[in-house]
Amino acid sequence: MSEPLLDVRDLRTEFKTDDGIVKAVDGVSFKVEPGQVLGIVGESGSGKSVTCLTVMGLNDSKFATSTGEVLFRGEDLLKASSSRLRTIRGDEIAMIFQDPMTSLNPVHKIGRQLAEAVVLHNDVSNKQAYARALELLKAVGIPRAERRIDDYPHQFSGGMRQRVMIAMALINNPDLIIADEPTTALDVTTQAQILALLKRIQDDFGSAVIMITHDLGVVAETADDVIVMYAARIVERGPVRSIFNEPRHPYTWGLMGSLPRLDTDLERLYQIPGQPPSLLNPPSGCRFHPRCAFAMPICRQQDPRLMAVGSDTLHEQACHLDEATKAREAAKLVAMFTAGASSS
Amino acid sequence: MLRYLIRRLLWACVLFIAVTFVTYAIFFLVPANPARLAAGQSATPERVEEVKHFLGLDRPFYVQYAKFLKRLVIEGSLGQSFVTRRSVNEEILRAAPITASLVFGAMIMVLSIAIPLGIFSALRPRSLLDRTAMIYVLIGISLPSFWIGLVLSYVVGYKLGWTPIAGYCEVFSVPEAAACGGLWDWAYHMILPCLTLAIVVAGTYVRFVRAEVMDTLSMDFVRTARAKGAPEHRVIRKHVLRNAMLPVVTMVGMDIGLLLGGAIFIEAVFGLPGLGGTALESIGRFDLPVLQGVVIFGAIAIIIFSLVVDILYAWIDPRIRLT
Amino acid sequence: MSTAANGNELLVVEDLKKHFPITRGIVFQKEIATVKAVDGVSFSLREGETLGIVGESGCGKSTLVRCILKLLEPSGGRILFQGRDITGLSRRDMRPLRRNMMMVFQDPYASLNARKRVGFIIGEALELHGIGTPAERKRRVQELLEVVGLNPEHYNRFPHEFSGGQRQRIGVARALAVNPKLIFCDEPVSALDVSVQAQILNLLKDLQKEFGLTYVFIAHDLNVVRHISDRVMVMYLGKSVELADRGELYAHPKHPYTGALLSAVPVPNPDVGRARKLVVLEGDVPNPINPPSACNFHPRCPRFQQGRCDVDTPPLAPIADDHLVACHYPLERWPMSIAEQPAAVQPVESAG
Repeated sequence: MSEPLLDVRDLRTEFKTDDGIVKAVDGVSFKVEPGQVLGIVGESGSGKSVTCLTVMGLNDSKFATSTGEVLFRGEDLLKASSSRLRTIRGDEIAMIFQDPMTSLNPVHKIGRQLAEAVVLHNDVSNKQAYARALELLKAVGIPRAERRIDDYPHQFSGGMRQRVMIAMALINNPDLIIADEPTTALDVTTQAQILALLKRIQDDFGSAVIMITHDLGVVAETADDVIVMYAARIVERGPVRSIFNEPRHPYTWGLMGSLPRLDTDLERLYQIPGQPPSLLNPPSGCRFHPRCAFAMPICRQQDPRLMAVGSDTLHEQACHLDEATKAREAAKLVAMFTAGASSS
Repeated sequence: MLRYLIRRLLWACVLFIAVTFVTYAIFFLVPANPARLAAGQSATPERVEEVKHFLGLDRPFYVQYAKFLKRLVIEGSLGQSFVTRRSVNEEILRAAPITASLVFGAMIMVLSIAIPLGIFSALRPRSLLDRTAMIYVLIGISLPSFWIGLVLSYVVGYKLGWTPIAGYCEVFSVPEAAACGGLWDWAYHMILPCLTLAIVVAGTYVRFVRAEVMDTLSMDFVRTARAKGAPEHRVIRKHVLRNAMLPVVTMVGMDIGLLLGGAIFIEAVFGLPGLGGTALESIGRFDLPVLQGVVIFGAIAIIIFSLVVDILYAWIDPRIRLT
Repeated sequence: MSTAANGNELLVVEDLKKHFPITRGIVFQKEIATVKAVDGVSFSLREGETLGIVGESGCGKSTLVRCILKLLEPSGGRILFQGRDITGLSRRDMRPLRRNMMMVFQDPYASLNARKRVGFIIGEALELHGIGTPAERKRRVQELLEVVGLNPEHYNRFPHEFSGGQRQRIGVARALAVNPKLIFCDEPVSALDVSVQAQILNLLKDLQKEFGLTYVFIAHDLNVVRHISDRVMVMYLGKSVELADRGELYAHPKHPYTGALLSAVPVPNPDVGRARKLVVLEGDVPNPINPPSACNFHPRCPRFQQGRCDVDTPPLAPIADDHLVACHYPLERWPMSIAEQPAAVQPVESAG
């Protein structure tokens, strides 16, 4: 079996804050194979962004400490020196951020920002770097790229800026692209363009992608495998079809049930009561238990571990409920959606 | 751009008229009799009346103001001092360079200390350096400028003898009877006054730069730069500084304009015959034309510098296009 | 259904326009161009209905609502509220009417005054309209807190002590305080997490049933709009391009832009989502200062016919019962057949 591109083992990241220690990531493990698309789903505070910032080494070391292992092609990034990390960042692992409005430096031309990414990792002249920047701008579909390369970020629309960010991430042919909510700030038609672009790039360049999002629709359409995070932990994971056709965790049910859908008519949405917990003082045992309709006494005491669903080792979930109930609830949920579904 | 400039200049004219009008009006509201002071202590009432008529002070307010404006715009002359009968233009032109050298000298000192200090404090918040800097800032802002000036003058000038206590030396065209002259003497005498002004002003700048740099460091595009693999010093130099310095440019421009109007306290403490000292004198003697001259000069300085700052800002920040 | 009033409409909007002038000049500002933020929108709304307005950024939906509320002065057209023409009313005359038209805003963090206590925020409208004694008002506010699912004892807390979803509930309570007939919701759930979004949507629906409210609901999320609306209007660049019953619009969209919007929404079903045919619109929304001629969607439209679409502006006209569309060549079927889609189509993944 080939070595995974990225192997994260028991990652924990803590932040020192004025109010105490916040455990933003609390025992997260996953693997990404070359060329695979991994979707990380969760709401605000789930730890999905912090996990990836930790992988990239972008946390402020004054306040953040991380333990565990982050093996990138066998090399532990958590133990790597900062200069080694800098060589990898932007070259072998690249990141696309959520808000294209603020993620680009407003006083530099975009050509310069793109060329900077090249020059930082390659021994080439400025002219060569600019040529490469132009190539990428064309590849991501910026019209009249020769003229636009000398424009400033504020002269681009939101969708175009995100394309520039993608170009910047791709410019050194990274093996892994981490996209942190890349389309959340964009209109739905622009989002479709950007997702189509990412798919095309993935096909052409063969890079692996970690797609962080709170949008289950985006995950369903782009990911091969999915991790569902809640309160700094993974509660369920598996191939995308397993997760959507046989979800096995009450939080996943809640997420899926609370979505208004185009394809069905629901009078009332299923709502998860309460709000996500504070990570300063997380609930004891299973962190979801205060909001869970199926909570049992054991849930308050013991933290459920990730276990395989039946014989399918690829699909895991962390819940104390018995198999029968889980299967029944999952079937109910899926039936609710496929009943009124029209294929469109 | 041209449209913007023309519009700004028009506004500057309006501003100018407003400033001069108010200064003139205030002077009339003050119960004083400049004619009497000009005529001298022992003058008879008839003599005072004569002087009054001679100076044109017996005409109504609006007439005097109109004459003043006409003379200013057409002849470019600010009139003549009531007391010395010398041209006000001359007085101003003599005093202005002194104040200018004080202000610019101080600003250079401020910027070369405050900016690095502000940046380092922002990069290492709550460190020893940062806390020391903030204490210094508090002291600098709280202590009155003349107190700092006097203390420095006493300690450094008198006790230690490292610098002169007070006084000013001309650089060019040194008069025959002067006690000192030439470039070296001039610089030597300006050290303490510039330092005093710098200490007073630097406090605000250190705090400001620190806040701006800290703010910019938390912005998304800095994170992008790091994600590209840029080393920290490059992130600071190329990404943070240019953004953080934008507001500093504005402040510097405004402050220079303001200070050129006369750093009165410092000039008084160190006996510098600059605009501040001149203004002080003319207040005491109710010498309206000279006072007017200083005020007008100050107003022009502020107007010009704020315009320069606006243009500079637009040049540095491509998001702002002055159309 | 036509957009003309037939007597029992709560709100009728006729050809509403809002143009923002762009001026140039040194001393005297001369208008050289206009941003046509809202360029002739008409619809009517009956009591108890929910009208969903959907469109992407720059389509004018927020400006439209602000004009109806007279927070901005309309540049043209008419607004009839409860049969009365309020278009030209002065601010003073509008004031008593404002208690019938309230608004819930998008950003739960910015729309509440951080320095005021929650009790004050909710009760301010009551005070302004002189309703009840202070004791009665306090009772009413506590009642409202309960209605929206918050603890009435938190009357004296500040906004920052609440979560995003709770703050949005406060916004809803604030809108309800004076028993308005009509509530405008400007993207009330866009800034919230999915699980909280469901809570607020359910709350809005429950309140509508309980108090007989009428909603105008703006959103860019088509799923959300579908869930809560009875009728839906699609806007593009200041104009309304389609207006129909919810079920009809989503099952049989007629305007190519509506089709593009619908096909762009990701479906949380891996089998269906990846297999569907996607209409990917090229380019960006054009600049509202210089909109395309005639039909302003024509440069991006897969059904564009030269000589017609760029010459004649299509009017918003009925194509079926209760279904209006502004298009010369509306979609014939949905999903679009291959023949109807030129090069702008890219399948996401072939079926299977």
